[in-house]
Amino acid sequence: MGVLITPTMVGQVVISGLLAGSLYALVALGLGLIFGVMRVLNVAHGPLMMLGAYTTFWLFHWFGFNPYLSLLLTMPLLFVVGVVLQRFLVRRVVDAPELSSLLLTFGVSIALVNLAQLAFTSDLRAVEFLTGSFSVGPFALSKPRLAACAFAIAITIAAFVFLKYTRLGKAIRAVSQSREVAQVCGIDVQRIHLLAFGLGSALAAAGGTLVAVMVAIQPEMGQVYTFKSFLVIVLGGAGNYPGALLGGLLLGLVEQLASLFLTAQVNEAVAYVLLVLVLLIRPTGLLKGRA
Amino acid sequence: MSPILEVRGVIKRFGGVAAVNGVSLALEPGRIYGLIGPNGSGKTTLFNCITGVDQADEGEILFKGRRIERLKPHQIFHLGMGRTFQVIRVFPELTALENLLVVTTSGYSEARRRAQELLALVKLERLAEEFAGNLSYGQQKLVEFIRVLMTDPEMILLDEPAAGVNRTLLNELLDAVRRLRDQGKTVLLVEHDMKVVMGLCETVFVLDHGENLAQGAPGVIQADERVIEAYFGR
Amino acid sequence: MKRWFPVALGLAAVGLALYPVQATGYGIRVMLQLFMWIALAQSWNLISGLTGYVSFGHVAFFGMGSYASSLLIVKAGWPWPVACLGGGAMAAVLALVIGWPCLRLKGPYFAIAMLGLNEVLRVIASYYEGLTGGGNGLSLPTLDASVQIYYAMGLVAAAVTVVTYFILTSRFGLRLMTIREDEVAAEAMGIDTLRYKLYAFLLSAAGPGIVGGLSARDQGYIEPISVFPLVMTITMIVMVLFGGKGTIWGPVLGATLLFAFQEAVWARFIYLHQLLFGAIIVAVVLLMPRGILGVLQQKYNLPRTI
Repeated sequence: MGVLITPTMVGQVVISGLLAGSLYALVALGLGLIFGVMRVLNVAHGPLMMLGAYTTFWLFHWFGFNPYLSLLLTMPLLFVVGVVLQRFLVRRVVDAPELSSLLLTFGVSIALVNLAQLAFTSDLRAVEFLTGSFSVGPFALSKPRLAACAFAIAITIAAFVFLKYTRLGKAIRAVSQSREVAQVCGIDVQRIHLLAFGLGSALAAAGGTLVAVMVAIQPEMGQVYTFKSFLVIVLGGAGNYPGALLGGLLLGLVEQLASLFLTAQVNEAVAYVLLVLVLLIRPTGLLKGRA
Repeated sequence: MSPILEVRGVIKRFGGVAAVNGVSLALEPGRIYGLIGPNGSGKTTLFNCITGVDQADEGEILFKGRRIERLKPHQIFHLGMGRTFQVIRVFPELTALENLLVVTTSGYSEARRRAQELLALVKLERLAEEFAGNLSYGQQKLVEFIRVLMTDPEMILLDEPAAGVNRTLLNELLDAVRRLRDQGKTVLLVEHDMKVVMGLCETVFVLDHGENLAQGAPGVIQADERVIEAYFGR
Repeated sequence: MKRWFPVALGLAAVGLALYPVQATGYGIRVMLQLFMWIALAQSWNLISGLTGYVSFGHVAFFGMGSYASSLLIVKAGWPWPVACLGGGAMAAVLALVIGWPCLRLKGPYFAIAMLGLNEVLRVIASYYEGLTGGGNGLSLPTLDASVQIYYAMGLVAAAVTVVTYFILTSRFGLRLMTIREDEVAAEAMGIDTLRYKLYAFLLSAAGPGIVGGLSARDQGYIEPISVFPLVMTITMIVMVLFGGKGTIWGPVLGATLLFAFQEAVWARFIYLHQLLFGAIIVAVVLLMPRGILGVLQQKYNLPRTI
């Protein structure tokens, strides 16, 4: 290891970390919505993201459709998928012990991944749309990552505006805090559940679309995002939506920083170790959240 | 006589709110105490802090002179303090007898004997092999009550023992509590039913907004203006 | 019911013991695998079925056992039966290391932690090349011991089933179940839930560890992807859920039925097969959460210890 670590390297790493982190935040916000509103750990979140990526790919492959424009299609599409999943499957276990919803979404995730294997095969796909990087001073900014970050930020801001200012958004936050009280206030909790799962799925899809331009697309691609999204929720605090943002950025930063000191392979273990540490030390998250 | 339980300046916060904000109590052994207060006054939170289910943020709790605020519930249990829950927590897939047997005691045969003894005490011996989940509400309440007695604890905390219980059963429970006191045990109960509290407890603590409001004999408390105001006024 | 069951069991045992005499090499291999799955399912049941703490990373113990025992054979020259037991011991140690911090977490968070475990171990196995042969894998000295491994696997499957029986009929088992029923109440009643969860976890790791070693010995070659396959976790889970978690014979039933299904479908339609497993898990959770045996238990009021 005796490599000298220059400020430039640190700076580069911070930038890369924030870029990656914004994507984590986006996807994790989706998972956080589902968990916050329904207390369901959506193990199928990664596969939903994967479906978004594949949709973008096929639109690009068959129609030359601009991947970033395809957000307008993938998000609504996966919104519907999410609503369907909630309505017919998840709804039945929302009130059961958390174990049941965990196993259920686990089953769904396996089914989705293997459906993708059957439908798309495990051949690696790529969306060759945006490559290369800008140079800003001594720093290299990868173009697709920058674009992904920009869109992720935009979508996340939109999501927050929705949550804070619209009636439905407020209803979602109310149900996240207390289902009973929300019901008493006349909120149709079932509808909010559908909405939350749909929104969560749409956000995952957005993440998938943005990532599709950067990485190889294959059925298993979402799995690691499921786990990292959980980690972000844990970092930020369950039910704490702004916390998910900070958690995502934090994860991105930590991962990139770790890559300075550790080899690429061990890097993957960093997220895991971080998770165990946080769960042990502050299970309610680094920021305030409900356990 | 030194107190069997002492609570000193306990503070417990949830988010930015202090559910319990500097409460202090002292309980002498061999008496029945009540803990009352309007909704949100912090009674259950205090209960949870005492029994280890929650951890107090500040303050001390001493049981038989020993600091227990950092101990886990099972450790506190073994020191001689048992509790029941507001929402019945029997183990539904275990039989009534098994519910009692799992409570850590010595050898199997002795535990079995004691369990059957307790079941007979509350006239549930014929339901010993019935799954606790299949019992009626009142029967489950009784099982939860005698479960606490399996290890013969010195102090028993009852969380709303009168909740949802019919008159007859309630009287049985109250008689049982008095018998426990006569055996030298200390009982602390959280309760909303004022008749129960006034009829059973020797000393009553009143909490309001997480703080001590008043304490004393039931008659005194009933007449205390501050208590009346806390419940009905403002 | 009670009388013919032990007789049937005895006959089955004798039949299985004599099986290798008549069977082909392929037939032995198949049955050997069935025993392996029974042992795996039964072990998973010990932690997840009894305490309700779902372990998504249980295959880690299988992989650990594979590597530990193979290394003991290759680098330390141990005879394979002892090495496999060593594999089981190492798996239990791993369970202790992981379980001690992770079992403090509430159920869902424990599940999340276990989800990540798999990936981490695969990464570590690839990384420590010198020791494990890295991505190239590890080869064992050639040995044709299929029949002996058949018996060994059968023995482990039987042993784990017997252990499950003893646990389910003891107070130890009752206490494990209280963790599943109501952990807060269990703690309040003096049960040191962390300790009991750890015991169950360690016990549940030993079986996969030994079986991992045996499997490695049988294959003669292991590499990270082969000993930490996610599909193994899925299969263990679906077998237990389907047969009936928290029972003694549920995992055996589930393992047998789904193994037969697997043999028929797997080789040709691997993704369809996994897809169906996923669908079965969903179906079981929604329609038959207690599994086949659970349904029978309720319908015919059978005792807990079946």
